[in-house]
Amino acid sequence: MRSVKSLATAAEAGRHQREWFADLRRRVADGEPFALLNADVPHEIFRTMDIPYAVSQWWASLVAAKQRSGHYLELVRQRGYPDYSEQYNAVTLGSAFDPEPEAGPWGGLPKPDIIVGDATGDVTRKVFDIWGHEPGVTFYPLESAAENEVPVNWWELMPHRWEQAVGPARLDLLTAELENLVRFLETTTGRRFSESRFREVMALVNEQEEWNRKTRDLIARTRPAPLGVVDSIPSVMLPQWHRGTEWARDIAKRFYEEVRERVDTGQAACPDERARLMWIGRGLWYDMGFYQRFQDEYGAVFVWSMYLAIAADGYIRYGDDPMRALAARFAAFTDQLYTPPWSSEWYVKEARLHGIDGVVHLVSDDPRGSYFTARALEAAGFPVIEIHADNVDARTFGDEVVERVGRWLENVVLA
Amino acid sequence: MPTALAALEEAYARRAAPRPPASPASSEGLAGTRTPVVGYVGADMPVELLTAAGVSAFRLTGDPESGSALGDRYLGRGVDPMARSVLTRLLDGAFGDLDHVVVSHDCEASLRLFYALRELRRVEPGTRLPEVYLVDILHLPHRTTARYNRRRIGEFAARLEAWTGRPLDLAGAVAAHDERRRLLAAVAELRRAVPARLTGRQFLAVADPGLPVDEHIALLERLLAEAGRLEEHTGRRVFLSGSDHDTPHVYEAVESEGYVIVGEDHSFGGPQPDRPVGAGGLDALAEHYHHSGPTAHRATAGERAAHAARAVRQCRAEVFVAYSRIADEAPAWDFPAQRAALDVPAVLLERQEYGRADLTALRKEHPCAV
Repeated sequence: MRSVKSLATAAEAGRHQREWFADLRRRVADGEPFALLNADVPHEIFRTMDIPYAVSQWWASLVAAKQRSGHYLELVRQRGYPDYSEQYNAVTLGSAFDPEPEAGPWGGLPKPDIIVGDATGDVTRKVFDIWGHEPGVTFYPLESAAENEVPVNWWELMPHRWEQAVGPARLDLLTAELENLVRFLETTTGRRFSESRFREVMALVNEQEEWNRKTRDLIARTRPAPLGVVDSIPSVMLPQWHRGTEWARDIAKRFYEEVRERVDTGQAACPDERARLMWIGRGLWYDMGFYQRFQDEYGAVFVWSMYLAIAADGYIRYGDDPMRALAARFAAFTDQLYTPPWSSEWYVKEARLHGIDGVVHLVSDDPRGSYFTARALEAAGFPVIEIHADNVDARTFGDEVVERVGRWLENVVLA
Repeated sequence: MPTALAALEEAYARRAAPRPPASPASSEGLAGTRTPVVGYVGADMPVELLTAAGVSAFRLTGDPESGSALGDRYLGRGVDPMARSVLTRLLDGAFGDLDHVVVSHDCEASLRLFYALRELRRVEPGTRLPEVYLVDILHLPHRTTARYNRRRIGEFAARLEAWTGRPLDLAGAVAAHDERRRLLAAVAELRRAVPARLTGRQFLAVADPGLPVDEHIALLERLLAEAGRLEEHTGRRVFLSGSDHDTPHVYEAVESEGYVIVGEDHSFGGPQPDRPVGAGGLDALAEHYHHSGPTAHRATAGERAAHAARAVRQCRAEVFVAYSRIADEAPAWDFPAQRAALDVPAVLLERQEYGRADLTALRKEHPCAV
């Protein structure tokens, strides 16, 4: 089932993304350095230095949407590596092994000169390190540190009191790693790092995410929901990969205004809305139609995904030291989404804010804390159904999932 | 009197079993207080600090035979079943009355176990789990990481002093553990001999019998003195790479087919470099654990391959077996580079069940005449 998008900002974001990628390919062909970055590393440094970059997970989502993830995983398998492990990054690694890279989506991913990823889990660093052994590619890894004790209410602390939320040990570490990253980039690319430009980029990011926060809050309090996640995901995530630009800030504002207009004129994703659903997990990129499948028959609308919500709560950092503030944005980023108590309490907060009737939780095989998320939501009165699949590997998605979710809607959520 | 090898194997068989009540502290300590009992998890645990604190400490292990329903529930089936089993046993009380659980960040499964324990104590206090503490040692080969590790080592030392109420005897503890390293390196030579004088299964027991370090040292000294009486093992020589083995199941399965495991690179065997910590206090200790390994979960595929090539030559192994347990996928990513670096046959056993070894691929590629 194909998804249907209706927002002008989603269409504009999609058009911009294609134009940006074509321009990126031209810049790389002209000899500019090109960086491939994992989603959870500080892109803002590359933005400041005007070093072209793409995001590993964005590329994987595009490959999956084109139903091509199996092809790239097969290339990984042909090199002797597992095709069942860390697929979100392995799919992108497969691009490096493609004998016909130009046959990839949108003309193919250019060969990177620099890769930056964090050492989350046991495999991510290995995947990028293997890529770093390709000729002309350098991998710059960042640590993934952990903390003993954390205050639960991170979403209240992060904008201004991030030192208290994240803790000085992790902030000292990542700040130092980022200072070294700047030096590494200055040395290898010849680009300069401007402190004043850096402050501009950081300010633009905060402005962009403040608009996303207003949009999130507007959707949360509006019944019926003015739009579903199929519209909100491209409108928030494509600009997210361009954060720190005026275009991204401005389209975040227009996204809010467009949603505001839909609210004011009474437009709804599903006028006969009977249930508001929450999607926990990464986007099901190979089947975005999944999210609209239950609207006509059940009046069930996915009004929440992490993408707009984490933009609203997870990125905003104010402070006088921009490099430390940037470190605070990413030193505990994964924890916000996946580590209890931060993740579980935040999902409950968001479910309450949005008036959620039921939660669909995508649980992939990589080790994330799913039990505590479901437990916290159910303890707060929100019914949860778990579906087990990988979000870019369509081979893992069972035919029975849609039917099972339908039965759950009938028997639990709408009963 | 049993031989030292028999005593070590007997201790190994009962390690991590419920402990008898610990003796009261000495008169110099806090009279009448109980010596804290600490269970620890992970290859990166700075055990010297536990010894220096005078706590009763032992590494927590799983059990493939006893089920893991609670661990599966709380951690999910995407986490290494070894960690799921450890959590199950903790909840079942299989380790007795622990005062603290200390976890290192040696792999993702250990970190997830820490988070689960922390959260269970918060939201389900009825589970009556002990206090849990994370020692976050990291491994990127950079000064930034070294400084972070030194900070975390210092915090852990301070926490131990708070638990026991007395200062650490770090110099004495480091000296004891260095002596144990020296003796274990000498014992490892017995296995590397041709023919091997210890099986892989026996070496697991020798390396990790779960005894206090002074008792372990005494038995290792006796074992070396008795080396001339050890049997010879002439099976085809295997180097075992990959996932951790906290039980002897896989070793027994491999060696029952006529192989002898003469070396390994996981943390329950002998992956650590033999170099001592030496003097230098907390700084030296932090550096030692920063550079420990190379383990499958924290080293690069290139580092693992270089280590495999050196170790295989050192052990005079004839076959290289990489074992990758289901939900413990790092070793499978190492295998292509390892195979390319070796001049002996190499086999990958991937997606293996906990405590099991499907040897079909090994038999097919390298039939072993029993």
